[in-house]
Amino acid sequence: MEETIRILMTDDHPIIIEGYQNTLLATKKPNQKLLIDIANNCDESVKFMNRAVETEKPYDVLFMDISLPASTDGKFTSGEDLAKHARKVMPKAKIVMLTMFNETYRVHNLIKNIDPEGFLIKSDLTSSELASAFQAVLNNPPFYSGTVNSIVRRSIANDIDLDDVDRKILHLLSQGIRTKNLVEHIDMSLSAIEKRKKQLKLLFDVQDGNNETLLDEARRKGFI
Amino acid sequence: MFLKKAVFFLFLISYLTLNAQESNPPTITDSLLYYRSIAEDQLQNLDFRIVNVKKAIRFANASREDTIILKTKRLLATLYLNKISKGEMIPDSIYSLNHQNLKLAKKLKDTLALAYINNVLGWYHKVNHRPDSAYHYYYNTTKYFSELDMQEEKAKTLFTMADIQFEERDYVGSENTAAESIKIYENMPQMEYTLDNLWALYNLIAISADELKLFDKAIEYHYKALSFSNKMKDNYLYTLYSNSNIALIYKELKQYDKALKIYQHLFRNKSLLMEEPKNYALILGDYAHLKHLMNKYPESEIKSMLYEAYRISDSIQDEASIMSVALNASEYYFDKNIVDSAIYFSNIAYDLGKNTSTHDVVLNALKLKSKIDTTTRSERYLNEYIKLNDSLVNKERAIRNKFARIELETDQLELKNQQISRERMWLLILSAGLLVTLVLLYIIISQRAKNKELKLVQQQQEANEEIYNLMLSQQDKIDEARSIEKKRISEELHDGILGRLFGTRLSLDSLNLSTSEEAIKTREGYIVELKNIEQEIRKVSHELNTDFVSGSGFEDIISTLVETQSKAYGFKNEINIHGDIVWEDVPNKTKIHIYRIIQESLQNIYKHANATHVDISFKLKNNVICLFITDNGSGFDVNKAKKGIGIKNMHSRVKEIQGKLEITSEKDVGTSILIKIPI
Repeated sequence: MEETIRILMTDDHPIIIEGYQNTLLATKKPNQKLLIDIANNCDESVKFMNRAVETEKPYDVLFMDISLPASTDGKFTSGEDLAKHARKVMPKAKIVMLTMFNETYRVHNLIKNIDPEGFLIKSDLTSSELASAFQAVLNNPPFYSGTVNSIVRRSIANDIDLDDVDRKILHLLSQGIRTKNLVEHIDMSLSAIEKRKKQLKLLFDVQDGNNETLLDEARRKGFI
Repeated sequence: MFLKKAVFFLFLISYLTLNAQESNPPTITDSLLYYRSIAEDQLQNLDFRIVNVKKAIRFANASREDTIILKTKRLLATLYLNKISKGEMIPDSIYSLNHQNLKLAKKLKDTLALAYINNVLGWYHKVNHRPDSAYHYYYNTTKYFSELDMQEEKAKTLFTMADIQFEERDYVGSENTAAESIKIYENMPQMEYTLDNLWALYNLIAISADELKLFDKAIEYHYKALSFSNKMKDNYLYTLYSNSNIALIYKELKQYDKALKIYQHLFRNKSLLMEEPKNYALILGDYAHLKHLMNKYPESEIKSMLYEAYRISDSIQDEASIMSVALNASEYYFDKNIVDSAIYFSNIAYDLGKNTSTHDVVLNALKLKSKIDTTTRSERYLNEYIKLNDSLVNKERAIRNKFARIELETDQLELKNQQISRERMWLLILSAGLLVTLVLLYIIISQRAKNKELKLVQQQQEANEEIYNLMLSQQDKIDEARSIEKKRISEELHDGILGRLFGTRLSLDSLNLSTSEEAIKTREGYIVELKNIEQEIRKVSHELNTDFVSGSGFEDIISTLVETQSKAYGFKNEINIHGDIVWEDVPNKTKIHIYRIIQESLQNIYKHANATHVDISFKLKNNVICLFITDNGSGFDVNKAKKGIGIKNMHSRVKEIQGKLEITSEKDVGTSILIKIPI
């Protein structure tokens, strides 16, 4: 019996989509028929999704790159926003997030907000892994890359519980952004940020009060 | 024939302990004080004291303090006076020492010392029969004593002066001086000593008046003298002198009764009178003469009286009484026509008078001799008499105003000295004022110059800061541009190249297992893609390598400066900056100076050159930056303009960065400045 699988691939690099296509087509099961739509930006992706809903032919699997040029109306700025939209309009669709990012902060947030069926890191992705991920997502979700798995495990293993803002602060600091410039990225006052940073240093038991030590400690415990 | 009380005052120089502040090394001071204390010890032998004070003087000289030297030398002078008063030394030896002291005391303006030293010098001259000098020094002494308000000492000195004047036959002067002295003594408590002096002074006035033939006045003053001697305890001799003098005057006035009364009174106590054989002989001779003149006493009585008087005076060899008695006797015998005796006695009086320079006696003797002698010799005696008398009168005339002159001269000298010192003081004040003004002027001028310099330095510093800030902001701009560029490249790498590489890898990976013809063809396509990616990477790498902002900062600043200045000054410009100069390696100081030099040069070109075109270029030769600033202006004489502030400033700036400055200029062609800055 032939199985038709509707797929939407969203990535701003055609060659990457080509890579996905090549891999999936080469490794699909004989009874699987893949119908693949390609979107190179947010606008196209949303358009495809809406059309699929209208024609009542929803996608089964959505391959979603995270960093994408924003949509023209500014509503969608990344794959994350697209994924949220997809969950709303096609609740049954399985979402596979693909990203160059291997930063914990992003991984953590994505899992929390989207809870995707697949989560793959491009830098350690091979074609066989993509193939097995595809099958696993279809039949036995979820499937996370090894890197993602280890990040999740590490953050679960320790008893430090951080909220999004804390994680974002740590993430931004690790990017080399100065504390006084954090207000540009986080919607909080400088004094509130400072307070949180102090709390973070207490939590990570930073004795010398150095930002570097804090970042080292956070890195060791899998928060960055 | 006149009795005089010999007045001889010698003040022992009273010794004042001066509290000199002695800042000498302790050894000198200690030694000095040690020897001086021995010298001051009254119990010690006089010679021993002198030896010690001489040692003390050596240390005093070493101390170089005039007060100490004077004090010590005056001590020696005092000891010398002690020795002289004992007759162990001649007065001459103190002369030079006292003159040294006088000089020192004048220098120190020590009035008390001046008074005593002048007094000693007066005494010294008096002893050496130099009445003029003696009078001069005594006069000074009285001045100093008046200044110090030491009345008793002043009166004593005045007395001595009056005595000198009397001896020099300045009777009027003597009277005046004595009167001055009396005024002081009469204001003092009437002690035995004061009374003594008052009697002596009145006596002096009386005998002066007698000499001036003012007999009434003489008698009056003798009585006044008596009024003081009567108050004294041991007054016999004083009364005797006064009374016998009064008797003599009455005898002269031919008031024989009054004279006789006095003599009778004196002879009432003959035994007491005979205790003074000298006076006794004198008075007895005069008494006999009076009796002879009264012409009512027996010759035998008169003769025996004369005889006794002569015998006594001859036995004690008292010249004054011998002369007096001889004259009386000669007159008596002449009157009695006993020529031999008359000649005999007149010769005695004459010879003795000549020997002792007692001119009165010689004159009287000559007068008698010419009367006694009836031969031609009489005329000779008369001539001698006239000659001696004339010489005496002349001498008297010459002397009459001598002392007044001395006083006047001294006063004039003093006045002159005062004037000189006043002039000196004014000169000193004036020159000090001038000096102060000059110093003030100098301070003001130098302060003003300093302020100016400080202001200039401040201005320069501000200008330098401005440039520095300019350079810093330029650097900030560069940094910002750099970071933007970095971000751009990073994004390009991440989003573009990495994505494409990933896609290619994934595709190749999926085709890896297939060996079909189609798969090989597809793979080839991806290999071409890889090549493209290589190219892409090379491009990014190249972009990274060419630091697009490198070094442009300072050049920009210079360009901006030259362009804006040229625009403001209205001339065209051309800038040429050699690309090999690594401005990052040039110290900020050098850059600032280069900036300022260009700024100033442009200003100078605008102010003086009338140029329409300015060419500025930087070249690099052997690690030396060569800056050329060339204009097409009017030019100037380089040698003449060397001292200008603008060029001076430029020189100092170039020197500061160890550079070299060369200026060449040609009239109506332009000026070229070359600055070489080693880096």
